[in-house]
Amino acid sequence: MVIMEKETEHPAPPFEPQKVAEPEPQEKAMITVSDVDFSYGAHQVLFDVNLEIPPRAVTAFIGPSGCGKTTLLRCFNRMNDLIDGAHVSAGRIELEGHDINAPDIDVVELRRRVGMVFQKSNPFPKSIYDNVAYGLRVLGATKKSRINEAVEKSLRAAALWGEVKDRLDSSAYGLSGGQQQRLCIARALAVEPEVILMDEPCSALDPIATAKVEELIYQLRENFTIVIVTHNMQQAGRCSNYTAFFYLGRLIEFGATSKIFSNPSERQTEDYITGRFG
Amino acid sequence: MAVPLPVRRWHADSLIKAFFGSNALIAIVVLALITIFLFREGFGFFGKNLANIRLYRRAGLEYVDILRDSANSHAALSRSLNDIRKRAAATESADTLSRFDEFSTAFSDSAENLNGLVSDAGDKAVALRDALALLIGDVDHSGENSEQGAATPPIDEAGTIAALRANTATFATTAAALDRTIRDLLKTAPSFQDAITKRAFEYWTKKVDGYLASLPATTKKLQAWNPERPVPAYRAVTSFLFGRDWITASFWQDWYGIIPLFVGSFLVSIVALAIAVPFGVASAIYVSEVAQPAEKRFIKPYVEFIAAIPSVVLGFFGIAVVGQTIRHVSQSSFFHWVSFFPISERLNIFTAGSLLALMAVSTIFTLAEDALRNVPRGFVEASYALGANRLQTVGRVIVPASLSGIVSAILLGFGRVIGETMVVLLCAGNRIAIPDFTQGLGAFFQPVHTMTGIIAQEMGEVVRGSIHYRALFMVGLALFAITLATNYAAQKLVARYRMSIG
Repeated sequence: MVIMEKETEHPAPPFEPQKVAEPEPQEKAMITVSDVDFSYGAHQVLFDVNLEIPPRAVTAFIGPSGCGKTTLLRCFNRMNDLIDGAHVSAGRIELEGHDINAPDIDVVELRRRVGMVFQKSNPFPKSIYDNVAYGLRVLGATKKSRINEAVEKSLRAAALWGEVKDRLDSSAYGLSGGQQQRLCIARALAVEPEVILMDEPCSALDPIATAKVEELIYQLRENFTIVIVTHNMQQAGRCSNYTAFFYLGRLIEFGATSKIFSNPSERQTEDYITGRFG
Repeated sequence: MAVPLPVRRWHADSLIKAFFGSNALIAIVVLALITIFLFREGFGFFGKNLANIRLYRRAGLEYVDILRDSANSHAALSRSLNDIRKRAAATESADTLSRFDEFSTAFSDSAENLNGLVSDAGDKAVALRDALALLIGDVDHSGENSEQGAATPPIDEAGTIAALRANTATFATTAAALDRTIRDLLKTAPSFQDAITKRAFEYWTKKVDGYLASLPATTKKLQAWNPERPVPAYRAVTSFLFGRDWITASFWQDWYGIIPLFVGSFLVSIVALAIAVPFGVASAIYVSEVAQPAEKRFIKPYVEFIAAIPSVVLGFFGIAVVGQTIRHVSQSSFFHWVSFFPISERLNIFTAGSLLALMAVSTIFTLAEDALRNVPRGFVEASYALGANRLQTVGRVIVPASLSGIVSAILLGFGRVIGETMVVLLCAGNRIAIPDFTQGLGAFFQPVHTMTGIIAQEMGEVVRGSIHYRALFMVGLALFAITLATNYAAQKLVARYRMSIG
């Protein structure tokens, strides 16, 4: 119950899976993936993926382990650049119509616009304040007042401000696992991205912390485009508007979450969702 | 049917346990024995050193040294005059120079009586010291006069001391005469045209005034000197730890002060680390964060291979190549602007330090690279995902996260360097003296002796059990304490670093 004590300010909400209204695909897609093949060296992991991720909505990627959903997610902010030999071997990925793999693209600017939250919470071994300020500082912000303002704003947006406002200068490692993950979300929010990529953000959290993060994702949907990779069907059902099902490196089905979960058009999707494999 | 217990396997198990257990035990016991031996041999030093210092006072050597200091100050002034003469040679007229030569000869001759006094008193004191040493029998003088032991002459200690102390009055009259002579002499001093020479000479005159003013104080010191005054026991320790002289096997008094050796070791290590730390840490950062896999496969084993070069080979290389090159460079006209160039000794602190740096680089590189590689991937990815470039990621995340690992790598590199013997013995120049720090950075181009070097050089020649032998053990213990402290600090840091990374 230690965690409960730490988080008394927000008593664990039994997060209610609300019926997510399907927004009409009124606007142009935020991220457009067309005919993408992806390989690690000679080993191809994505085959001919086509996908349009709508803005200001939560899109969930589901599928069994090794199906390439995390790889695709990491393509969106080019994190795969860090891996030797990994490359998009065919097709285009566009962010609001601009090819993100074009040679003249500034990766720093891309990553500012497309933030990321990782599977294992990974705050820096610094203070809470410095963690959130990190992104601003590497982008060249030096004005103290501006950084203070942004830190508070993003901690509020990540629903963490009330819990940490009195100990901004203490180490981020004094926080509980769920708080650390929300700190990582706050850190990603601080640079005001348009898209937030989340790679199984709750897989290392207990159910109470998971509920809080899910609630947060649900709130962030109004201002951000969120792409979330998850192994948890209920999670995808609870907090996403759209769902993409991957299997063996191919996109099998993509559509509104309610449709995928209640009436999938592909047999494989249905089998996976009902737990017959995966 | 009852199954028999597997006795055999249990037996094999206990055998294996006994084998490994005994190995560990032997290692611990041997280490403990070495430590005990070191302490046993070393701590005997203090008793002998105390006896040594007591005898120094009792036999009146201390008294003579007060006289000698005064004579030495005079000699130093004479040497300064020679320096001025060298500078004046280029600028002054022949007439001035010849008058100046007369002046300086007269000045150095003025101390003739004083020097005679010192050498007479010195002879008496040494004779008394040797006689007392034979009588007491516990101060070893490396057996140099053991064969005279049979014919011990009767010692007139009180008489000798009284004769010595009679010199106080002689000194007072000599000093008064000296004072008069020099003051008269100063009136005949030539004047110089060159401004710099003039200023140097005026400065010298001031020093002479100071010297003359110190003469009455010396007389007072001589009067106050008392051979009966006991030497406090702590002097045995302080004269070792803070002693500025390491003089052994001299006809006069032996001093075992660790400071010149410690300063030598320390300066050599500082030079080595100043060179090795940037190279080691920078190449570790390059290999762990920037290099292509092919480069990694080449650089890592290559740098680690440097550790495999025997240190005597490195020392050889240091004498033949590095020292020679440094001297050549210092002589080239290109470096005339450097105040302490050209250097006179090719074997000096810098030569030894730069070779030790080579050895420290591989230690620092290997350990720092480990620390950098162990920074969790999550930190690095998070940094890149927030839009940091490589330099920012290295500077703001990777290095801070591995800082204690890097610092401990540097500490272990220091431990490696300060304990290294062969290279410093071959390349540090082996002159037992504290470098002249008034030369600024030039102090790093002077020869020194080191703690490790002195042990290696002198241990083979000393009489077992003598004070010199025990002094060398104390130096070894001091070295042991330094490396132990360094390693302990490094381990503490590594432990903290593991905790902070989680």
